[in-house]
Amino acid sequence: MSYPIRRVGESLITLFLVSVVVFAGVRALPGDTATALAGEEPTPEAIAQIRASYGLDDNLVVQYVRYVRHAATGDLGVSSRTGLPVLDSVLEALPVTLELSALALLLAVVVGVGAGVVAAVRRGKPEEWLVNAVALLGLSVPAFWLGIVLVLAFAIALPVFAASGFVPFGVDPMENLRHMVLPVIVLGSGLAAVVMRQTRAAMLGSLSADYVRTARAKGLSSRQVIMGHALRNSLVTVVTVLGLQLGHLISGAVVTEQIFVLPGFGKLTIDAVFSRDYAMVQGVVLFTSAAYILVNLLVDLAYSVIDPRIRLGGAQ
Amino acid sequence: MRQRTSGPSDRPPPTRHRPRVAALAARVLCVLVVAATAGCASLASPTAEVGADRMTDPRPVRDGGTLAIALKSDPDKLDPSLASTAVGRTVFAAMCEKLYDVDARDRFVPQLAAAPPTTSDGGRTVTIRLRHGVRFADGTRMDAKAVKTSLDRHRTLPGSVRASELKPVTSVQAVGDDTVRLRLKKPYVPLLALLADRAGMVMSPTALKRYGNGFASHPTCVGPFRYAERVVGDRIVLDKDPNYYDADSVHLRRVIYRTITDGNVRLANLQSGDIQVGDQMDPVQVGRALTEPGLQLFNSPSLGYYGLTLNIGNTEGAGAPPGRIDTPIARDVRVREAFDLSLDRALINTIVFQDRYRPTCGPLPSGTPYATGARCPARDLAKAKRLLKAAKVTTPVRVRLQISTTPEDNRLGQVIQAMAKEAGFAVSLAPTEFATGLEHSRAGDFQAATTNWSGRLDPAGNIDVFAGTGGAQNYGGLSDPAIDRLIAEGGATAGKAARQKIYARLVERIRAQHTVLYLIQPTNYVSVTKKVAGLKVFGDGLIRVKDAGYATGGN
Repeated sequence: MSYPIRRVGESLITLFLVSVVVFAGVRALPGDTATALAGEEPTPEAIAQIRASYGLDDNLVVQYVRYVRHAATGDLGVSSRTGLPVLDSVLEALPVTLELSALALLLAVVVGVGAGVVAAVRRGKPEEWLVNAVALLGLSVPAFWLGIVLVLAFAIALPVFAASGFVPFGVDPMENLRHMVLPVIVLGSGLAAVVMRQTRAAMLGSLSADYVRTARAKGLSSRQVIMGHALRNSLVTVVTVLGLQLGHLISGAVVTEQIFVLPGFGKLTIDAVFSRDYAMVQGVVLFTSAAYILVNLLVDLAYSVIDPRIRLGGAQ
Repeated sequence: MRQRTSGPSDRPPPTRHRPRVAALAARVLCVLVVAATAGCASLASPTAEVGADRMTDPRPVRDGGTLAIALKSDPDKLDPSLASTAVGRTVFAAMCEKLYDVDARDRFVPQLAAAPPTTSDGGRTVTIRLRHGVRFADGTRMDAKAVKTSLDRHRTLPGSVRASELKPVTSVQAVGDDTVRLRLKKPYVPLLALLADRAGMVMSPTALKRYGNGFASHPTCVGPFRYAERVVGDRIVLDKDPNYYDADSVHLRRVIYRTITDGNVRLANLQSGDIQVGDQMDPVQVGRALTEPGLQLFNSPSLGYYGLTLNIGNTEGAGAPPGRIDTPIARDVRVREAFDLSLDRALINTIVFQDRYRPTCGPLPSGTPYATGARCPARDLAKAKRLLKAAKVTTPVRVRLQISTTPEDNRLGQVIQAMAKEAGFAVSLAPTEFATGLEHSRAGDFQAATTNWSGRLDPAGNIDVFAGTGGAQNYGGLSDPAIDRLIAEGGATAGKAARQKIYARLVERIRAQHTVLYLIQPTNYVSVTKKVAGLKVFGDGLIRVKDAGYATGGN
């Protein structure tokens, strides 16, 4: 079997398994969706009608097959809580989480790498102590506390940034930034601290390596040695760490979205779980998983084009 | 020109100062220090008093502007037939008018109806005349046929939460263009209260035909504002409706409802100027808001209550015939009375609710015509212990109390635990997340549970389904023929004086069973920036924005 077909097949199996796990997991939650939906006045008649209208009376296999059949056509169903199409809500939440994560990542890289370089170059000096102390603070402070402090300081005492909410960049770029600055700091600060420590460690290794000594001996300026040689080699480690931290970034986004009431994936998922909105939870998780699997598939296929050994590996 | 037509940013900018850098730095430092010790804030004593009921701010307002209102939770479907959350009623109040409404004194007044309903045929026929010249947001004319379409949809749509409410209605008939006639199985006085709630909301027949079950995505009714967009979990946007029959008296250009579940975050957004109205502020936030010079407080006594439900017979689920539960508290009314006597309602109000609510011991809210005015029994530990001795139970009597996971319910549970212990009860707390707790209560899988009911204006709405045999929310499994008889009598009896007597007897009978222990009558607290006037907050707790706007002539 050719490599691309095998990888596509593996991806489809993974997606199937994800859909089964999510479907079963959501239904294993305690509490009944029909009762939750009936709200303040859960009469037995209303609950029975809700159960019937959402097909909750059918057995789980029937419900699962119906769900997959619809999902295959791009129909993720209708939210049992709001009555709105799940896909619409997912597509509305996606840009918020993407922007928040991307900006937090940018902040972490810029601040973390910069501070890490300073700490390594100024080893043993007050600058290193300061950077280390700030990094320790960034790692130790809980996100919700930092969020409250920032809101008190920069949304209430000094009304510079918004305390909560989201304005799309396309609607009003300045308002978008006003709303995103504090959440990005909260989400990015922990990651920046991790990046700083990794950069510092990698830079210390590089700065004592033979090739740096050779570069200095060749008469290159300090700036050229640090930026062109030591940092360049250290970034391999930093990029690896960033990849490993992506999961934390996504889970951190869930907390940050709650603190700043950002209508992203995290908030959407948590609200859906608490209201037993099966369709919404399944839709969000399935969408995220599908995107993740697709990106991995494309990367693997791209690798196989770049390096033929990958696709021929199985035939050796 | 009456209206400004600028974009979303036309709300007045928050007051901004330009102090010098040093002063700003000092201010930030102070804030950081305060923030670092913010955990102690909730324990601080209130520094200002709420004062008497305050339901509106009569200052004149200018036309234009956007009002951002923070809601405590995200509304469910914006479809009057399917909606079931209390918070959804607040959004409907701005865009879906009803046949009747309530006024500041908790009286029913016509809204889309032209006059109070008339009854004939011994109360089995109810005739409603409609307001003339009314159009829905989509331009469709609101007439008797439209009302019939809506009422029939409420009654028959699969999944309709209104179907059971309108069960007494057997048919709806359009009599001419402006009159609707409802036929009932039997006289049903609480019908008027239902028509003053979601069952009385009228939807555009054109929109119903066009969107069908997707009406929640395009809710189209009669109201000062019309639906513009919704981002789930974030905001619902309504724009002023030019088709509204009283559009000239609507001042705001746009209303945005934002979901901010955390009370502290709601208050922070009020302080920062990102929102102008904070709905359902809890007592701790009220205390903090009172010291804010830029905020004002609206408060009205709620129609609901906080209480405890003791399970004495719910073995097969609410609505099913009661069974036998072999626990001391279920078996013997004396044990339940002892539990009741161990509680000090005034102290609960002080500790849990910062003295900002009112102690109560019945389901009917004070201030309404049916309030019994009965005094709550004082805490009596000696009598409680005597009752437990007489009941020959082994002390401590173990009781598992299901509470929700909110900080307020946690405090309530702990105070009850401490008080009941002194009488001879060992209360263990079971914090349970909302959906799971609701399921446990319905299924009868609990011994005792806290209850929080938002309340209804007609006394039947606070009693029937909670205390009647087989009642949908009779989670305690109470079954008493005398109570059932009085419930039926109360529903069929017209005339305030006669009903008052019935409900006084009914409440006494319910209290004697000690199955539902009524503890506290909450207050509806709404914090509002002083820039805004004309907002109305009545006993039903809904925020009415029809007359609201930004005050003219500064603060």
